[in-house]
Amino acid sequence: MINLQPYGNPQYFVYLIIALLPLIIGIYNGYRCRWYQSLISLVFIFLMFDGPKSHQGLMLIFYVIWQWIIVGLYMVYRKKYNNKWIFYLAVILSIIPVATVKITPAVAPDQSNLFGFLGISYLTFRAVGMIMEIRDGFIKEFHPILFIEFLTFMPTISSGPIDRYRRWIKDYNVVPDRDKYLSMLDKAVHYIFLGFLYKFLLAHLFGSIIVPKMSAMAIASGKGLSWGLVGYMYAWSMDLFFDFAGYSLFAVAISYLMGIETPMNFNRPWQSKNLKEFWNRWHMTLSFWFRDFVFMRLVYAMMKNKVFKNKNTVSNVAYVLDMALMGFWHGVTWYYVAYGLLHGIGLAVNDTWLRFKKKHQDKIPHNKFTKCFSIFLTFNVVCLSFLLFSGFLNTLWF
Amino acid sequence: MKSSKKLWMIIGPVITAFLILGVLLLLPLRFDHNSKLSEEKAAVSLSPQIFKGRQFKEQALSGKYVPFFGSSELKRMDPYHPSVLAAKYHRNYRPFLLGNAGTQCLTQYFAMQTILSQLKDKKAVFIISPQWFVAKGDDPNAFAYYYSKLQAITWLQHENGSKMDKYAARRLLQMPSGRSDKFIKNLLYKAKFGHKITRFDRFRLDVDANILNHEDQLFSAVGLNNNLNKIKRGEKRLPNSENYSVLDKHAYSYGKKRTNNNRFRINNNFYKRRLVGYVKGLKGEQKNFDYRKSPEYGDLELVLNQFAKTHTNVLFIIPPINSLWTKYTGLNSKMVQQTDNKIVHQLKSQGFNHVVDLNKYGSEPYFMEDTIHIGYRGWVKVDEYVRPFMKEKNKKVNYDIKNKFYSYKWQQLFPSKKNLTNFN
Repeated sequence: MINLQPYGNPQYFVYLIIALLPLIIGIYNGYRCRWYQSLISLVFIFLMFDGPKSHQGLMLIFYVIWQWIIVGLYMVYRKKYNNKWIFYLAVILSIIPVATVKITPAVAPDQSNLFGFLGISYLTFRAVGMIMEIRDGFIKEFHPILFIEFLTFMPTISSGPIDRYRRWIKDYNVVPDRDKYLSMLDKAVHYIFLGFLYKFLLAHLFGSIIVPKMSAMAIASGKGLSWGLVGYMYAWSMDLFFDFAGYSLFAVAISYLMGIETPMNFNRPWQSKNLKEFWNRWHMTLSFWFRDFVFMRLVYAMMKNKVFKNKNTVSNVAYVLDMALMGFWHGVTWYYVAYGLLHGIGLAVNDTWLRFKKKHQDKIPHNKFTKCFSIFLTFNVVCLSFLLFSGFLNTLWF
Repeated sequence: MKSSKKLWMIIGPVITAFLILGVLLLLPLRFDHNSKLSEEKAAVSLSPQIFKGRQFKEQALSGKYVPFFGSSELKRMDPYHPSVLAAKYHRNYRPFLLGNAGTQCLTQYFAMQTILSQLKDKKAVFIISPQWFVAKGDDPNAFAYYYSKLQAITWLQHENGSKMDKYAARRLLQMPSGRSDKFIKNLLYKAKFGHKITRFDRFRLDVDANILNHEDQLFSAVGLNNNLNKIKRGEKRLPNSENYSVLDKHAYSYGKKRTNNNRFRINNNFYKRRLVGYVKGLKGEQKNFDYRKSPEYGDLELVLNQFAKTHTNVLFIIPPINSLWTKYTGLNSKMVQQTDNKIVHQLKSQGFNHVVDLNKYGSEPYFMEDTIHIGYRGWVKVDEYVRPFMKEKNKKVNYDIKNKFYSYKWQQLFPSKKNLTNFN
């Protein structure tokens, strides 16, 4: 049985682009052949989840039905009423599958792959986002077919970027004019080749060649600080970036070929001058999702209920909770949670410093050197957090 | 700008890139000729891509290089290593080292496939380690590390249903590497049963071989291990005289200085890096090791059969094992002697008469560099056989291959003197 993992090797692009060619020619000539788009998407999703992955495929089908019922029913309900408890219930029901998948490995390690499938988190973000926007009254219609097409949008099904329904449906309903589409094609070609460089050359270099060497070096030097450990930290961080940024470029590029402007996920994260800026450049669709649907709502709720007097305290608490939740989302292990907390506290410290700096503008120098230093510092803090995130310390210590 | 022109500006470069790639990989071109220096580097690199490839081996072996097949001992690049001696004393040959840790007979057999014309009527040196002959035979992971599609495709291009071909196909199919590619797997099954390859399959083989050869020609030079400085350093240390009593004394004192942090006369670095923490656990640990019955004997026959077909004049060397070490680990020395007897019998009874069994030198001080790897005085001793062998004028050799050495019965034969002489 043929099984094709998304963007797994260069041949995949040959198959995918040949299959997309009729759609591309259609859009170029001002016509979006929607049934063909759906058919090709279905075929490629099938090829991701068939053969050895067919258990995951089955789980995907159950999952989509589950979300379809919850979002659909909540839409029907919301048209008439707006009770916040029903809203909470809908969100919880929508999160239950992914929560189960993330918590199972911690409590029953041998059952860890029972309900999961590749991409479950990303589908959850899309569904939960929709429920929240239905509650806010921004989404007014539940389209039974388009909901599924959005939820399982083929180029992004496995690992994002996380699109928003309202933005996606706008692109889907129109055909970009020729000039616009040409510029999208131009970007798509650029992104695919940049992605090749990132994923198949650089991520391979760091991930498959340097990281194992550093890992062996670090383990040989024991549990403490060693050159191997430092090397591991940087190499693993680079691997993570080039692998994920490369993948994201592919997903965006293929979306563009389909005439859909899926948002970018990375925007030169390593030139960030502070942690806040970093999260505006790194895995952007995830951090914006957390900003809009977790952080803002937490701040709003705390302000409304007057939990804290000081509004800075409110935002600091929200940062920590927001990032801790993101840590939990990666998996229930001490190092993911520590990673989340580190970033939450880091953001709070960062905010405090920025306020302090603003107040004492006249005394604190601001020049090229301080800029370089802040980039250097941010880079190293982030790499340190990725060392935690990698779980390597867990293998090294326990 | 018109939109069709804009479109061309976008996809034109992509199409051009694919066309260039197509030209590079598919057209019957040759991107050959390595510089003298990169050839020198490749000959001692022991890098898997050189071993697995074709271009470097082909060019070097067409010149003054002679293949030295072996395994991990080739890495022991002290000043008495064959590559150093040949360079220092300006011999008429230079070793091209083929092998590294884990390259056993089956691996060597498939790697030979890309240099058959260079082996034809030429000389070669082949170092056989008794340690290869374990009950399970060649390790699939080690095999995979040195296996390339190029080897299999080239082999398939000229297999013709002989006993050797059927046996090789069967063995390759037992390795996950041989089953990893569907096309190759199917053709191997055909070869195993002696079925002819269709014309279309032959065409596909030629196309694949072309692509793989170009890949090899274009990229094999990338990331070579640089061992050349070790060779140069060794040359500087050697005495000017290549008189063996001088060389042997030289190697004696060189070895003595480097094997003094342990009681086994094992190289200090090797001992520190690989053994020091484990030594205790290794006491008596090898007393049940047995090399007398192994599928490796069948794989050895593949190599011999190949040499017979190309009429290669081969000098075989069987290195000893460090006797201080074997006494400690409990390795049965009688078993080792019987293993060597079986190997020598398989060689000599088929006309491979250049055989040097160094077994008895295991107790000579500084003959071994560590546990099982020859070095120092051992390399000098090897040279005592290599030098005259290389000097003598090459004549066409004919061997007498006997299919019985492929048999399971031979592989499992207990090598007592009586059994060996009575084996049929």
